[in-house]
Amino acid sequence: MGQTWASRLIIFTTLLFLVGPFIIIIFAGLSAGSSLAFPPDGLSLKWYLAVFEVESFRQSFVLSMFLAVGGTLTALVIGVPAAYAICRYNIPGAETIKIIVAAPIIVPGIIVGLALLRYLVVPLEFTVTLALFLAHTALVLPYAVRVVSASLQNLRTDIEEAAVLLGCNRLQAFTKVILPNIRSGILAAFILGFVTSFNQVPVSLFLSGPGVRTLPIDMLAYMEITYDPSVAALSALLAFLSIGIVFIAEKTLGFSRYV
Amino acid sequence: MFQNRTEGLALVLPAAVFIAVLFLFPVGILLSEGFKVGGEWSLAGYADFVSKPLNRTVFFRTLKLGFLVAFVSAIIGYATAFCIVNLEPAQRGRVFGLIILPLMISPVARTYAWIVILGRTGIVNKAIVGMGLSDSPIRFLFTETAVFIGLLQLFMPLMIVSLISAMENLPKDAIPAARVLGASWLQVFTKVILPLTREGLVLGGTLVFTGALTAYITPAILGGSKVLMLETLLYQRVNVSNDYVSAGIIATILIVMCFGANVVLRRVAKA
Repeated sequence: MGQTWASRLIIFTTLLFLVGPFIIIIFAGLSAGSSLAFPPDGLSLKWYLAVFEVESFRQSFVLSMFLAVGGTLTALVIGVPAAYAICRYNIPGAETIKIIVAAPIIVPGIIVGLALLRYLVVPLEFTVTLALFLAHTALVLPYAVRVVSASLQNLRTDIEEAAVLLGCNRLQAFTKVILPNIRSGILAAFILGFVTSFNQVPVSLFLSGPGVRTLPIDMLAYMEITYDPSVAALSALLAFLSIGIVFIAEKTLGFSRYV
Repeated sequence: MFQNRTEGLALVLPAAVFIAVLFLFPVGILLSEGFKVGGEWSLAGYADFVSKPLNRTVFFRTLKLGFLVAFVSAIIGYATAFCIVNLEPAQRGRVFGLIILPLMISPVARTYAWIVILGRTGIVNKAIVGMGLSDSPIRFLFTETAVFIGLLQLFMPLMIVSLISAMENLPKDAIPAARVLGASWLQVFTKVILPLTREGLVLGGTLVFTGALTAYITPAILGGSKVLMLETLLYQRVNVSNDYVSAGIIATILIVMCFGANVVLRRVAKA
């Protein structure tokens, strides 16, 4: 019995350390006062509502959404064929290609952001939005390739051969047989990419320009000038958004199988 | 497996070219900047970089925090993973969900919480002053301790998850058998659990160590300019002094350390 209590205490303490700060953020955002505090000075929803009134948050939210959705979709459009080729073809230099495609995960984001800014964006006069879009796509691409590859590896190869024998050409075999079968893998890759891109800071740090910022960068800038509970409220709302998306994905797809 | 190589290459090329052009090419030039002084190839930039005490302090601090975070995560991770693996399946799923929950939350939000906790008017200071342990609030923010706590909370779930999957593969009878044969708990850990979960420890350790080395948000918010780490130093060098030689050197150091950690630790796992 003693051992069970000890083990419960250990789990509880670890969870308190990992999840506790998140609960504090939720309550700090519920404050009725005007400065950040826990326990909050009275309870009200005013900071949760105030978040929607801040013009820069609205703009940066739209930009972050665009980058997360657009970047991940683009990454899938070039990532799915790559994953298919890596799994099904005997391509020359396969190992090198795999390393190239995985590189964005290993190289720290801040270096990527700076390098892109200095050697591509400035010389070629890209707009800030285009630069952010390309960077976020590159960042998400390795996840797209990896998750879709995992999904393809679980798929039998003979159903595709059967489709070809029954008269499909290769493209039809892919769109009619392979694609429907790896649908949930693609969706899992999309969600993983979306969450990664949406929460991404270091890559966007140097690339964000005047008036064009992603939401996390905007929050960092806002925190430096004010000490009110709105960032806490916004953090809590975003956390609920991510958790909601992942929760639904887990219930419908068994998301954790792919990650 | 299809044998048509051109077709395969055509499918994989867009992704590989995209990353090579947008990623490897610019990063490669940035790294080369560290080896150039006034347009000439030279190692003078490195000599100059090493000669500055601040750079050395930041380098060793980053390394120290990386090791400490990985080490403490491993200790807490082993205790927690051991307890979680022994839970009943239904409970285990719920606890596991709570462990990975923070991974889905924005690091900005997670780090921001520590300002509420450790700030001058935060809970910890309220408790300390309230209990009469100190007359005035103690400064926690902008100290190495704050950065350490923030990084630990950020990356510990990766260690716990790696250790849980390693421990699930541990033969069920191994620990009771060792106990029956007279091993103390310390011996059970060093002679049974540690060798059999080594790969999980190495995987978790690599993720936590490289994660802590390359974290930007946590040292920026909780450390500020008082507790610089390599990433925040890089940002400062570029934004404040436009110093791209230092930026190239720091970038090279970070990439070498990350790859080094991957290679060395993989060797350790196989040895």
